[in-house]
Amino acid sequence: MVDSGIPRCTIGGYVSVQAGSVGPKGRRWLARTITVLAVPAMVWHLGASVWAAPPQEPVAATAPSSATGPAGVSDHAALLTRYCVTCHNESLQARGTVPLELETADLATVTTDAELWEKVIRKLRTGSMPPAGRPRPEAAATHAFASWLETEIDRAAAARPNPGRTEPLHRLNRTEYQNAIRDLLALNIDAATLVPADDQSYGFDNIAGVLKVSPTLLERYMSAAREVSRLAVGASSMAPAGETFRVVSDLSQYQHRDGLPFGTRGGMTVTYNFPRDGDYDIKLELLDLFAGAPIREPHQLEVSVDGNRVTTFPLAPPDTSTDQGVAYNTGPDELQVRVPVNAGPRTVTATFIKKTDALAESIRQPFARPHGEGDYLLYQPHLGTITVTGPFNATGADDTPARRRIFVCRPAGPDDEPGCARQILSTLARRAYRRPVAETDLEPLLAFYAEGRRDGGFDVGIERALRALLVSPDFLFRVVSDPPGSEPGIPYRLTDLELASRIAFFLWSSLPDDELLDEAAQGRLREPAQVERQVRRMLADPRSEALAKNFAGQWLRLRNISGALPSDVLFPDFGESLRKDFVRETELFFDSIIRDDRPITDLLTADHTFLNERLAKHYGVAGVYGSDFRRVTLADPNRRGLLGQGSILTVTSYPDRTSPVGRGKWVLENVLGTPPPPPPPNVPELEPAAETGTVLAMRERMEQHRANPVCASCHRVMDPLGLALENFDAVGRWRPTMPGGGVIDATGTMPDGTAFDGPADLRGLLVTNPEQFATVVTEKLLTYALGRGVEHYDGPAVRRITRDAAAHDFGLASLVVGVVHSTPFQMRLAKFDSAE
Amino acid sequence: MFISKMSLPRRTFLRGMGVTLALPLLDAMVPAATALARTAAKPVRRLGFVYVPNGAVMPSWQPAGDGALTELSRSLSPLAPFQDQVIVPIGLSQKQAEALGDGNGEHSRAGTVWLSGVHPKETEAADVRNGTTADQIAAQHIGGDTPLTSLELAMEQTYLIGNCDNGYSCVYTNSISWRSPTSPNPHETNPRIVFQRMFGDGGSPEQRLAQLREDRSILDWVTADIADLQKRLGAADRGSVSEYLDSVREIERRIQVSERQHGESALELPDRPVGVPESYDEHAKLMFDLLAVAFKADITRVFVFTLGKEQTNRAYPELGVNAAHHAVSHHQHDPIKFEQGAKVNQYHIGLTAHFLNALKATADGDGTLLDHSLVLHGGGISDANEHSHIDLPLVMIGGAGGTKGGRILRHSKDTPMNNLLVSMLDRVGVRTDRFGDATGALPLEPLSGV
Repeated sequence: MVDSGIPRCTIGGYVSVQAGSVGPKGRRWLARTITVLAVPAMVWHLGASVWAAPPQEPVAATAPSSATGPAGVSDHAALLTRYCVTCHNESLQARGTVPLELETADLATVTTDAELWEKVIRKLRTGSMPPAGRPRPEAAATHAFASWLETEIDRAAAARPNPGRTEPLHRLNRTEYQNAIRDLLALNIDAATLVPADDQSYGFDNIAGVLKVSPTLLERYMSAAREVSRLAVGASSMAPAGETFRVVSDLSQYQHRDGLPFGTRGGMTVTYNFPRDGDYDIKLELLDLFAGAPIREPHQLEVSVDGNRVTTFPLAPPDTSTDQGVAYNTGPDELQVRVPVNAGPRTVTATFIKKTDALAESIRQPFARPHGEGDYLLYQPHLGTITVTGPFNATGADDTPARRRIFVCRPAGPDDEPGCARQILSTLARRAYRRPVAETDLEPLLAFYAEGRRDGGFDVGIERALRALLVSPDFLFRVVSDPPGSEPGIPYRLTDLELASRIAFFLWSSLPDDELLDEAAQGRLREPAQVERQVRRMLADPRSEALAKNFAGQWLRLRNISGALPSDVLFPDFGESLRKDFVRETELFFDSIIRDDRPITDLLTADHTFLNERLAKHYGVAGVYGSDFRRVTLADPNRRGLLGQGSILTVTSYPDRTSPVGRGKWVLENVLGTPPPPPPPNVPELEPAAETGTVLAMRERMEQHRANPVCASCHRVMDPLGLALENFDAVGRWRPTMPGGGVIDATGTMPDGTAFDGPADLRGLLVTNPEQFATVVTEKLLTYALGRGVEHYDGPAVRRITRDAAAHDFGLASLVVGVVHSTPFQMRLAKFDSAE
Repeated sequence: MFISKMSLPRRTFLRGMGVTLALPLLDAMVPAATALARTAAKPVRRLGFVYVPNGAVMPSWQPAGDGALTELSRSLSPLAPFQDQVIVPIGLSQKQAEALGDGNGEHSRAGTVWLSGVHPKETEAADVRNGTTADQIAAQHIGGDTPLTSLELAMEQTYLIGNCDNGYSCVYTNSISWRSPTSPNPHETNPRIVFQRMFGDGGSPEQRLAQLREDRSILDWVTADIADLQKRLGAADRGSVSEYLDSVREIERRIQVSERQHGESALELPDRPVGVPESYDEHAKLMFDLLAVAFKADITRVFVFTLGKEQTNRAYPELGVNAAHHAVSHHQHDPIKFEQGAKVNQYHIGLTAHFLNALKATADGDGTLLDHSLVLHGGGISDANEHSHIDLPLVMIGGAGGTKGGRILRHSKDTPMNNLLVSMLDRVGVRTDRFGDATGALPLEPLSGV
């Protein structure tokens, strides 16, 4: 099994030999040390005499216990020698068997080697070391050792906090840009059609370091500014332009669609920003699902704007003797109507008037997915696209939400114009730049205004200035700069205004509102109570849905649902309708936990969720009717919490089957906080056989892989967690047996060896240690809030946040408040001039 | 950016809003396209790179033999119409994509090293580092006369989370094109935005010229604003805005080129795409159609296009491949997975052939656009089971710089793929003696007697 020259260190019954490669995780840490730790390491030496006051009272040093006395230290040293150094010694590290060694580590200098000890704390706290199967110290001794390490490090950090250093420039990402436009101009845009998607790191797309600027990006921002300013003000003349909205083709249109009028079937409703008062063409195209199969009877296709019927197109069956190969006798070009519309956001709806269900074709229940295999020849027309083109004969823009927001004054005559322009632009600039504006900020904007005023009048001038404002670096970047006279490597507090932006982008993914800006401008965000009041106020605001959509959407990978393409052969009922329902359910669920400040463990165990009829049927929950989501109590304990939700069960599956490895990895990463290291280089990933219906083969196959010692050390932990969820298929439906009738064995053991059987059991075990889950959530929140990765020197702050939240039953909102109060959120290290 | 020389008849613009837009793009062009005006004496040379993820089924990719290419392999069979312009290099490797002491990141490194030959820094933070890629070296030399120095396209959105290797920023998975060792290029997936970058927002030539001038005055102000920002930042952070400043300068250059070309000739615009088509096939062909127009109208001379990102779990039900491509690529010597993988490989080649067809159908100087282009199609992994970066799946098509095709170039497996990239750059008139791990140019000339 292994050559006898290597000392045997068995892990879980297997010899742990990493195929000539160190656990990559360890090496990564080392690489990071060199680049990131250079700063904090010097802090210890330089910072002693000129230390800035921490933003909050220092962490109260834990009351001395027996564990902190000299006798305690020797106990800990003995524990270390007996249980850890057996494997974590210099010789095995040199061979690459273990990623780090503790043989030469000195408990007298814990605080100067915090990076190493933070890793030890993590392993002890998550119970992942010593590994199952190896002798373990008493739980109390482990706890005492971990607590002692934490106390040592936290005490040093309280005296000399290291908040880390966020990037000086933090570009708004696409979502933030969209929300900022919404809040600045009362204009809803789809930024995805204007600017490119952002790269992510650490699992989030708001990481400052990777939000780079490129010519392509700036070009898109320039173009977006032109389009947005024109839409918002509607002043400059524009060539007619068109926008096409497409119904996703696997969205079922056999039934009534959410949000459409009763008595209708299928179709779509879209919100379109009509830029100016004028005439617009609305053109429809039908989906060619049926490869020319003709409709059998007449249908009526109704078009309305803001609920007012514009026209009804009759669709008649073709005369098959003359019209070969057409689906209906109305040519596509004829499904077009020109209609006068006033500027502003309005809904455009196209839908079919519902016919009786007593159609010969609908005796058989259709699959939800229109082009699923088999039963699809229902001869019912489906809407494909709505195209709005215009304006023609435009007469300007009168009253729109955006114009009401922008024009805080209206000049009565030419003499009023300069003053009013100044008032409008200073209001806009203050919100857009998130700070009070100076004359130097206004001058260039007024110059653009004057140019536009000359070309086309007052409104055109405002539009031109707005366009410039939207590409200003002051709008596109959050800037945090070292204060004048700051000492290199010494932490300082953010200004109130910088803090206000940080809070708003954390909670709302958007600009601060006027109240928060006022508070900041008056210097009131120095008071913790005042900050908490603002945070609680902002959490209560609807805009905090950004936390569910962006934070949870990325943490839980809900966004990946849009890329989930379950096989339409195996899952004919899966389609765009369910995709949307999945995401909505989890967003509403997360939102309910944070709004009610419920314990984070409720994310895993809450007995409620949010369902509509379609999703309830998918889950086998009775008594839910209609397309609206409502809060539902779940009787079945298997279905409770995130691990019972279709969103998470689907994004952790393949198109044709579940992935127990993927699901197990998800639990390790997002619940237990012990993400497995990636497989060692050049070892094939563990992919069970693709054939469905062979559950035993799959489990056996996975066990075969786990017989390989290289794979075993992680898969032994990961796979059982995923296999516990095997009763949920690849789209989250409950299944008592495998598709071929095979028995599902959902038994397994936790990393610490505790046995479980099935999802409800697993869930119960996952919440027995809420600190562990709270630590995971806190680290994810902190990453998202700061826009940088969480490093070892954030350990004290993370513990402080979770400890404070423990007093509030680990309420999710309390964690959010804790993040805002934390040292890395409130402070920043000044940069060494010579660095890099 | 805008091509102001192109007039946009209102009728065309309004007609173009439907969904049927993919195929006739090239036919919509009038013969006044710039490319046609080039003289035979000094043809414009163009370079394209098409990336495919998750390795390839090598036995189905590489044809047998050496020297003359007498019979295409199964995967390469869609290239039959251009067989005499096809070169199949065998044995080339990107060894800088190997771990070399770093952790597992085979997929992240595969794509990002493909055109750089430089070992990327393992990091999830801001300090990403790779080498400048071959396409961008070309763009810096031959992109200056076109409104867009290069185009970077992709088929998959970048917002999917968790599809990148631990320890590696997703930037590596998302970008196979790097302007500098620290600046990855974003890849655009939306054909509509690609269209807008090529043709602007439309309007009459005069309107578009006016737009350009407005843009320019805004950029002047932004430049001044950045200078203010630099003053506010501490000395140590002033460098952080340089990226912004460089971007401003590049856009100013584009505006200048567009202004210079204003009024040169009239070209009827293709229909403006409505967005991302739902079907992969339609989407990919539309992107290739736009690239063909970009070559034809001399909007750019360099592109990269990734047909899928590494580790993509896309299934190809239209090919009968219902399993995720990444899972299929880890074939474990299962003949079913080999078969599925080969289908995907062949399909991707067929998409590139769609593009090559358009190039071949367009006269350019003394030949066709294809005669003056080089397109490399391939990936950074060979056998995905082993995540091998040795003996990569590659095929090059085109005749730029007098390249003669119809051949197999067999080399030892120690040969850096960068040697081929050096030769490709050479063929488009860019001399580089030091590029990544290149040890020299790969001889592309046929041996005497072949």
